[in-house]
Amino acid sequence: MKSIVILSGKGGVGKSSITASLAVSFSKENKIVCADCDVDASNLSLLFSLTEDKYEEWKPISTNQIAVIDYKKCINCNKCLENCYFNAIKLKNEKKIVNDFGCEGCGACQLVCPVNAITLKPINNSFLGYAKTKYDFFISSAQLQPGNSGSGKVVSKVREQALELEKDADFLIIDSAAGIGCPVIASVTGTDYAIVVTEPTPSGFSDLKKAIKIVDHFKIKKGIIINKYDINPLFTNKLEKYTKDNSIKIIKKIPFDKNFIKAMTKMIPIIDFDDQYNSLFDEIKEEVLKEI
Amino acid sequence: MVEIIAITGGKGGTGKSTVATSLAYELSKNNSVLLVDADVDCPNDHLILNIEMKKIRSIFQRIPRFDLEKCNGCGNCGETCKYNAIISINKQKPIFIQEQCNGCGACKIGCPENAISWNKKEIGTLSIGQKEKLTLISGNLKATQPISEFIVNELNIEIEKEKNKFDYIIIDTAAGTHCPVIAAFEQAEKIIAVTEPTPLGEHDLKIILILLKILNKKGKIIINKSDFGNQEGVKKLAQKFNTKIILEVPYSKEIVQAYSTGKPIQIPNLSSLVKE
Repeated sequence: MKSIVILSGKGGVGKSSITASLAVSFSKENKIVCADCDVDASNLSLLFSLTEDKYEEWKPISTNQIAVIDYKKCINCNKCLENCYFNAIKLKNEKKIVNDFGCEGCGACQLVCPVNAITLKPINNSFLGYAKTKYDFFISSAQLQPGNSGSGKVVSKVREQALELEKDADFLIIDSAAGIGCPVIASVTGTDYAIVVTEPTPSGFSDLKKAIKIVDHFKIKKGIIINKYDINPLFTNKLEKYTKDNSIKIIKKIPFDKNFIKAMTKMIPIIDFDDQYNSLFDEIKEEVLKEI
Repeated sequence: MVEIIAITGGKGGTGKSTVATSLAYELSKNNSVLLVDADVDCPNDHLILNIEMKKIRSIFQRIPRFDLEKCNGCGNCGETCKYNAIISINKQKPIFIQEQCNGCGACKIGCPENAISWNKKEIGTLSIGQKEKLTLISGNLKATQPISEFIVNELNIEIEKEKNKFDYIIIDTAAGTHCPVIAAFEQAEKIIAVTEPTPLGEHDLKIILILLKILNKKGKIIINKSDFGNQEGVKKLAQKFNTKIILEVPYSKEIVQAYSTGKPIQIPNLSSLVKE
């Protein structure tokens, strides 16, 4: 199985829209499975009209633990508080309170407690599930519960689940979160090819360069899609010069088209909404296939 | 008294930075305003406002330093580390993967030979810039470092130090709803969620509204690109969470043009609404 990740740094440049249609294109001749690794704001399945009620499974999981203090045992030595690097233990009326939002479950407090008053308890920090699209491939997704941490580990679960769903799939297609932090690193690591989506704006360009640093760090082959390339032709030239100077392949340039938003509103991939995009996404697929 | 407002949204690309920069710039004409770019993964406010930034300081995170002469190969550190940052197989001396380390210190506490001391790694920078009367402070996470939240915490320290000098502090958060976004809300009294009227925008707005409820923060909604999709869903959500929609901003070529060329963006009525 080969895995392809779609990322961008900047949000809203079209990662999920492109992932959805590219997945459909790949599914025509291959067995594929998708992983929606934007676990903060999981949206890929919505582009196939798959709301949570249409999931085949949607179950609470735990990828994180939090410290729980047994006040009967606590001798108020404050060692836990002094050793918490995340300031997640605070004193309130001389009682130590663990802030659930801040606790990373590292266990340092448990190790320093002289009277074994601290245990680590798994918390239900996310939901994990999957749904089947009408194109007969699965989307593995998760939703981190608001206020919880540990999105990197949830991303790993989504990828594991995708592999379990289709053990003999030809391609795993991964839709990453925005940014470059822990969930993105967990999405990119160990993949065979990265598609970095950008748009011709100063922000899009700046974020593209940061996203490329992540991809290069893991030594993953990559190509770029310039979305909405015609909103700023001068800047598109600048992007093209950058890719040429750095020998980066431009896989495709996609024009700005309000139909993308119309398709999104209808909750269908753009290739289902506007037939001319079938050939465009087939071309993207062919370009990617040449590389992996 | 300073007023601290965070701009967020859940989904990426809904217009958070557009709203934050526009609001801060407009307010700065008659007030002293600090804009804080807390989207530290991909800070862009300086690009939108065309501000040249100067580094204030580097941000470091502690990491363990292993004294391999003292190490007895017991493997405790590898077993203790919950982030896969230390690999110790078959009683061999540990291999440390610094990118994975969040500095928790559990390995050091658990080492029976005192073979672990502290070292540090640079994880990002803070920088500052000025446009006319507007001050901008940005956090910038170094690529390949995972923990954005640490940089946001440093921005919170700056806000705490500076807040008496300003009438308004506008905080521009990252996309998503996890740690760095929650950290960016810490100092804010009011939160504005910028969304777009699509099923995706709606889905992510809902998560933000739940989060605000958990954190007990007051929120308002701005619908950007308001003429693009179908507003029904967002309106229902606003009603359900008893959150007011304060502004609808239709899609405009001028805004896109300004955004893509690095000019301050004007959104009519925005600053007067916030003052109310």
